[in-house]
Amino acid sequence: MSSVIAFEDRERRESRKLLVGLCIFLGVMLGFPVIVNLWYGFADASFENLTGSFIGLENYRDALSNPKMWQALGFSLRFALICTLFEVGIALVLVFILHPLLVTRPWLTAVLMLPMMVSPALMGVMYRLILNEFTGIVPVYLEMAGMAVNFLGRRSIYNTVVAIEVLQWTPFAFLILATARQTVAYEIEEAGAVDGATGWHAIFHIFLPLMRPAIVIVLFVRFIDSFRVFDHIYVLTGGGPGNLTTSISIYIYKLFFVQRTIGEAVAVSTLLLVMSLTLIVLAMRLVVRRN
Amino acid sequence: MLRSRILAGTAAAFAAALSASAAYADITILAWPGEPAESAFRKVLDLYNSTAGKENNSKASVIYFSQQGFKEKMLADVAAGSKEFDVMLTATYDVGLYAPFMTPIDDIVTPAVYDVISKNAIETQRYEGKVYGIPTDLSLHFLYYRKDLIEKLLTDDAWKAKYGEISEEILGTKMEPKKPDDWTWDDYIATALFFTKSLNSDSPTRYGTVLQMKNLLYNIMLWQGTAASYGGDWRDAAGNITIDSEAYRKGLAIYKTITDNEATPGDSNTYEYGEANSVFGAGQAAFMVQWNAAVPEFNDPKKYPEVVGKLGLTHEPAGTLGPKTHFHSLGLGINKNSEKQDEAKKFLAWLATAEPMKLYAKEGGSPPLAEKPMAEVAADRPEMLLMGEHAAKYGFVMNGGTSSKALAIYTNQAENFTGYWTGATELDPALKNVVDYMTKAFAK
Repeated sequence: MSSVIAFEDRERRESRKLLVGLCIFLGVMLGFPVIVNLWYGFADASFENLTGSFIGLENYRDALSNPKMWQALGFSLRFALICTLFEVGIALVLVFILHPLLVTRPWLTAVLMLPMMVSPALMGVMYRLILNEFTGIVPVYLEMAGMAVNFLGRRSIYNTVVAIEVLQWTPFAFLILATARQTVAYEIEEAGAVDGATGWHAIFHIFLPLMRPAIVIVLFVRFIDSFRVFDHIYVLTGGGPGNLTTSISIYIYKLFFVQRTIGEAVAVSTLLLVMSLTLIVLAMRLVVRRN
Repeated sequence: MLRSRILAGTAAAFAAALSASAAYADITILAWPGEPAESAFRKVLDLYNSTAGKENNSKASVIYFSQQGFKEKMLADVAAGSKEFDVMLTATYDVGLYAPFMTPIDDIVTPAVYDVISKNAIETQRYEGKVYGIPTDLSLHFLYYRKDLIEKLLTDDAWKAKYGEISEEILGTKMEPKKPDDWTWDDYIATALFFTKSLNSDSPTRYGTVLQMKNLLYNIMLWQGTAASYGGDWRDAAGNITIDSEAYRKGLAIYKTITDNEATPGDSNTYEYGEANSVFGAGQAAFMVQWNAAVPEFNDPKKYPEVVGKLGLTHEPAGTLGPKTHFHSLGLGINKNSEKQDEAKKFLAWLATAEPMKLYAKEGGSPPLAEKPMAEVAADRPEMLLMGEHAAKYGFVMNGGTSSKALAIYTNQAENFTGYWTGATELDPALKNVVDYMTKAFAK
């Protein structure tokens, strides 16, 4: 018995050592930038004087009173919500349609993942060429078919940036959900079938409830990821016309690098961090409680 | 004995090699990407490395960031004290922004330099009395037009009549076509409408012109010749912001009229330099205002066969003060944090001599050459003479356009004005936003 206790004590001591190492690593890698950022949020730092001096809550006041921040925040929330719903919805449909095919041909998953492998900035450049009224192959073929669509025009640019995000990240949602679908034991599926649960019935009463944790996770991951969208929109539209496609990340980038209001940029990103953390905590609680 | 002599000899040779390599320094240049300047600059570096560089025991190499966000990345690097590059880019519109991170180079701007590079171009690299860069490229705007189409418009009676009809119907005044040299901005608009297929089914081009309206600061530089030609400026002599003026409203209305009448491609709100060139180069637009850098491209039969031999160049259309063009120079200066200040200075001093500058011009760069070297390269690059003339006659820099706030102000104008042109914002709030922003920026 005493040898068991000694073993447990040793284990505890060893794990504490590992934990200390991990804490130091996290403290350096995450803690330092966080502290520097927190300071910048309360300082009048500039590129010429990176230390700055304390100015209290001025940066936060400027950030919160700037209508452009709310506009960008509104864009990001709307964008994230729409993209997430489309991505997860399409992914779910694809999972159920393609499941039998993927069981026999698993290499197809790799093919479906391809859009995810392209960097978002490159995706922006690609679509800038593909959708251009003159150089783009899509408008040219559509025009030949008698459908003139101006994808990058002011009226359709919002839908276009949403579509690009959905095209690129639906594979991610698909990957998670397809894995969740495959973890549903065949015995359960078979038992359901014996009890008469087939087709829609099986989907709604067996698979979807069992896949719920994965669905919640993928909803939140995609929401947060789409919320901080930057690359392809910046490359494609520069956040315009006007501020029509300025996401909160583009807004922060411009505040920091272009307007060089470092403190305000940091204040907005700190507010954003708090919002994101709240969302993550809520998501995790939801998942844990459901489970 | 022999052994110790061999050892001593080897040690001496090794020490000599070490000392030689200590004197040897490789300088790195951070430059502005994009053809044709990029390939031309590489040739200049090859020349340096095979001639003066060898004598200086120094070798120069170049790195290019992507053009998207170039200035922001460079700012972050220099502010962080980066020593990764020794020579960096500077431009008229941001010399004030980068000056705190650069070494002044007045000591290498000798009278001999003025024999190679025009004096007023060197002045565009000056901030608070000190020169920060050797100007390598002069940037201004030309009106690019299709000579064949304009000639037909000026001689064909049916086209002339149609031109009058369209201008009367849309602009309320019956106008007659004129030579591009004599255009006012009203002629620019009327001609754009005439060459737009949706308004004139006989038009050989789909659009009259192509505007660059992406939310991008360089597009505002391209546009602001309109406002300047009516007397528009950022500030008056007392420092008051003068953006909300008739001149600015007139300038903004020019783009708005063209956009509303769809005389520019519908996706112009995502266009910058490359897209505009592809539209004009594909023969889909009759004319455009564009940076001078595009001239060598349109004279390249492999790149734009549709345009080669038909390209006409003139100044921007006139406002009440005549034609105006924004102009600035791009240049190379020294990163203050560089540990190779002497080598970098040697390189810049060499760059400011005739041979590299003429080579750069020959290969497609647009250096602001002084009279003598300009005469030597003018046969191959006739537009360079035009550039010198245009800069002198029509060039302007907005009051505050070289300040450390200039980039931020251009960006703010881009956000607001592109919003107005494309219908996302009304005119008055757009102007108010800009005025408020500039008032705050210049007050700090």
